[in-house]
Amino acid sequence: MAQYNNNKVKTHKIGIYLWIWGLLFVFSFFSYMVDYLNFEGSLRWTLIVLFMLSKAALIVAVFMHLFWERYAIVNILLWPMTLMLLFVWIMVAESEYTLLTRIFYFILGS
Amino acid sequence: MSRAIDKLPKGWSGLTSDFSSDQKAFKGMSWGKAMMWIFILSDTFIFSCFLISYLTGRASTTVPWPDSSIVFGLDVFGTSVPLLLIAIMTFILISSSGTMAIAVKYGYEKNRKLCAIFLLLTALCGAAFVGMQAFEWTKLIFHEGVSPWGNPFGAVQFGSFFFMITGFHGTHVTVGVIFLLIMARKTWRGDFNTGRRGYFTTMKSDYVAIEIMGLYWHFVDLVWVFIFAFFYLW
Amino acid sequence: MSNTSISPAESPDQELYHSKSWWTTYVFSQDAKYIGIQYLCAATAIALVGLVLSVLMRIQLAFPELNVLDPSTYYQSITMHGMIMVIFFLTALFLGGFGNLLIPLMIGSRDMAFPYVNMMSFWVFALSLLVLMASYLVPGGPTGAGWTLYPPQAITSGTPGNLWGLVLMLVSVVLFIVGFTMGGLNYVITVLQSRTRGMTLMRMPLTVWGIFVATIIALLAFPALFVGGLMLLLDTVLGTSFYMPAIIATSNLGKDLSTGGGSPLLFQHLFWFFGHPEVYIVALPAFGIVSDLFSVHARKNIFGYRMMVWAIIAIAVLSFIVWAHHMYIAGFTPWFGFFFASTTLMIAIPTGIKMYNWLLTLWKGNIRFTVPMLFALGFFITFLNGGLTGMFMGNVGTDIALSDTYFVVAHFHFTIGIAPVLVVFGAIYHWFPLMTGRMLNEGLGKLHFWFTFIGAYMIYFPMHYQGLQGVPRRYFEMYDSVHATSAGLNQFITITTIVVAIAQLIFFYNVFTSVRAGKRANRNPWNANSLEWQTPEMPPKHGNWGREQPVVYRWAYDYSVPGADKDYIPQNLSPRKIGKAKVEKT
Repeated sequence: MAQYNNNKVKTHKIGIYLWIWGLLFVFSFFSYMVDYLNFEGSLRWTLIVLFMLSKAALIVAVFMHLFWERYAIVNILLWPMTLMLLFVWIMVAESEYTLLTRIFYFILGS
Repeated sequence: MSRAIDKLPKGWSGLTSDFSSDQKAFKGMSWGKAMMWIFILSDTFIFSCFLISYLTGRASTTVPWPDSSIVFGLDVFGTSVPLLLIAIMTFILISSSGTMAIAVKYGYEKNRKLCAIFLLLTALCGAAFVGMQAFEWTKLIFHEGVSPWGNPFGAVQFGSFFFMITGFHGTHVTVGVIFLLIMARKTWRGDFNTGRRGYFTTMKSDYVAIEIMGLYWHFVDLVWVFIFAFFYLW
Repeated sequence: MSNTSISPAESPDQELYHSKSWWTTYVFSQDAKYIGIQYLCAATAIALVGLVLSVLMRIQLAFPELNVLDPSTYYQSITMHGMIMVIFFLTALFLGGFGNLLIPLMIGSRDMAFPYVNMMSFWVFALSLLVLMASYLVPGGPTGAGWTLYPPQAITSGTPGNLWGLVLMLVSVVLFIVGFTMGGLNYVITVLQSRTRGMTLMRMPLTVWGIFVATIIALLAFPALFVGGLMLLLDTVLGTSFYMPAIIATSNLGKDLSTGGGSPLLFQHLFWFFGHPEVYIVALPAFGIVSDLFSVHARKNIFGYRMMVWAIIAIAVLSFIVWAHHMYIAGFTPWFGFFFASTTLMIAIPTGIKMYNWLLTLWKGNIRFTVPMLFALGFFITFLNGGLTGMFMGNVGTDIALSDTYFVVAHFHFTIGIAPVLVVFGAIYHWFPLMTGRMLNEGLGKLHFWFTFIGAYMIYFPMHYQGLQGVPRRYFEMYDSVHATSAGLNQFITITTIVVAIAQLIFFYNVFTSVRAGKRANRNPWNANSLEWQTPEMPPKHGNWGREQPVVYRWAYDYSVPGADKDYIPQNLSPRKIGKAKVEKT
């Protein structure tokens, strides 16, 4: 009987959770510092996104256990989320266009 | 110990062999856990749409957007500390994620007491988070005059997006806290050790339910990571 | 020779809920087959409401002197008709109705993965129908903003039902989404995790593939509608300005709108990010079912099964990147027109592949002109027509002339109005014995088919001409400015509509009499291969398979195999029993 069930689940040692917990604190602290120290422009933007993605990756991979799951579920989950970035890109361009038309018609054209 | 699942091919060839096999596509994963993952995928799309709408609203407005470090600052001992409450909320939610992961670990080790304790700690952190969010809302609505339809700081949509996104997130946290309390009670009572049948679904209880609960809770924390970055920090 | 080594069971047999009272057997049933029939009945009932609305609208258009609908009521009718037919009828019927009925049976499972949640999904759907119908009872009546509910017009005065009606419509859609998510998770997990031994994904009948992929699309597309609808609700009720632009506040549109700065285009993007995948949610199950109908009734394997599966997946993926072709004239970033037009034309390729494969399935097949085959052929012809007209509107240049005309109305009625509805009928005729153990009357079925098919063609084909003439859609009256030929066609279309609507009574008469007194069906009346016809009892009982789930040795399309003694080889027939048949390795 090849039952692939969870009855004999190997659990991790508690250490790994505490380490990741700590790392998350560190990244959160750094993100907070980006604002506290008033970084500006693209440096601010890059750092915020970097720390955010690092925290997200740690939570998904370790706490949600995805690092140890089989590739089938990992790919099913990660590709749609990545493709949402396409929607983000399109809406960014769209907002720029909306702003352009507003400035053009309401501010410049008035 | 060697389990059947360890004999399956790993990596990319594991992906093709899993999808071309019979019975289960996600080997070794219970139906409940697979369902929670797909539900989380769908819920991720909901929050993505919220954040994309926020992005569009903010990027296309000609009126300047309020500075979040000022709006969300707290006055502590006379000095204005930007984003202090939010930072505390973030640390609390991350801690709750940590306690949740540990609860799952003790659940699988069938350690009834520690599992229940960590579930309760998680619920406590979650409740604290919601409480602080409620405090934040009260402060903004009654003391600062920020409402869904206007605010004195800048663009009109600031309030609407803030209340809608944090409201939705807060609702998810609240639902999570309720289920955590239910799970904690079931664990304490020993339902997962004995496999006692549930009241509504009459299905047998199993410790995998704690892992499923954990997935939901980590998802809630994950959404907060994104909201924290995009809404408060940006 | 098909694969004879069958892997052992990976999980213990599913434990089912056994109902004890009448309420839990027939009302709050947790058996997917019953839930499927509940969905079928509820969706059909609401479709009849939509049908009556369409007849009233047509009478108003052709005979305005009768004043059967005033302008407000006309717009309320188009809105309700559209929302009912697309979401509450077709989506619920294909996914909830046929999904629940067929998925567990076709994959050899005992029931859906979460029967309790499945039961709840139906009752949330029923609640959403009640809320939708309740909009007729509130002050102002239902919303008249069109099924697309575009703000700011949906919220400003002048649009009927711009407060209560709109709120109830949005609440009912939100409830539908919640109910659908519960069901949808079931269908996806059941297909992925609960197939029987030997049933690989590439051995599943295409019906399952169509419904499965449609459910995945729906789980990813409905969030956009949820978010868009929620923000519209907040704009209506709380006076937020997600969508209300500043220009409304500064002009006096009869409503005190002190807010502004929102973007109506945001709603359109969110709505169509959902809206385009939605039409594929309706079309893909139809594609899957038609493949099976063609195969069974032409006694021939589906041509190019693998490509059919990949085409379904390709259509699903591409459907998420074509949405702005509904917005070419809305005023979005002009450079995107090129992007979306390209992807829209690309999506015609996998669809075309499927059309060719259906044709090649029929070629040199042993075609039986049974009622289901007739409806499947009707689907093929109408969908071909509808798909071709889509090419005109996929291109930005031609769309500028055709947008918001009757050409669009003709296009979408052909592709999601006639074609999938013909499939619904065909599927009901085909699987009626599975649900009731009896056959529907063949003669009445053929009569019903010819009235519906020819009639639907006569209704919608002239609309292409009207559209090319420039007749606008969503107008409650065709004024004298419309060319005389277009105006004259209106009366022809309306009379035909009334005749076709009445002809549907043939179908209902057939169903109601055959349920009790129809010819008793034998266990496998169509001599089909797929598992739903191989249960120990027909109709299948709770648990579907008796003591043991079936073991599958081949795909579902071994029809007319050379060397076999029968012209079909069921999926679970042991390899030792197929004699000298030259089956392909599947």
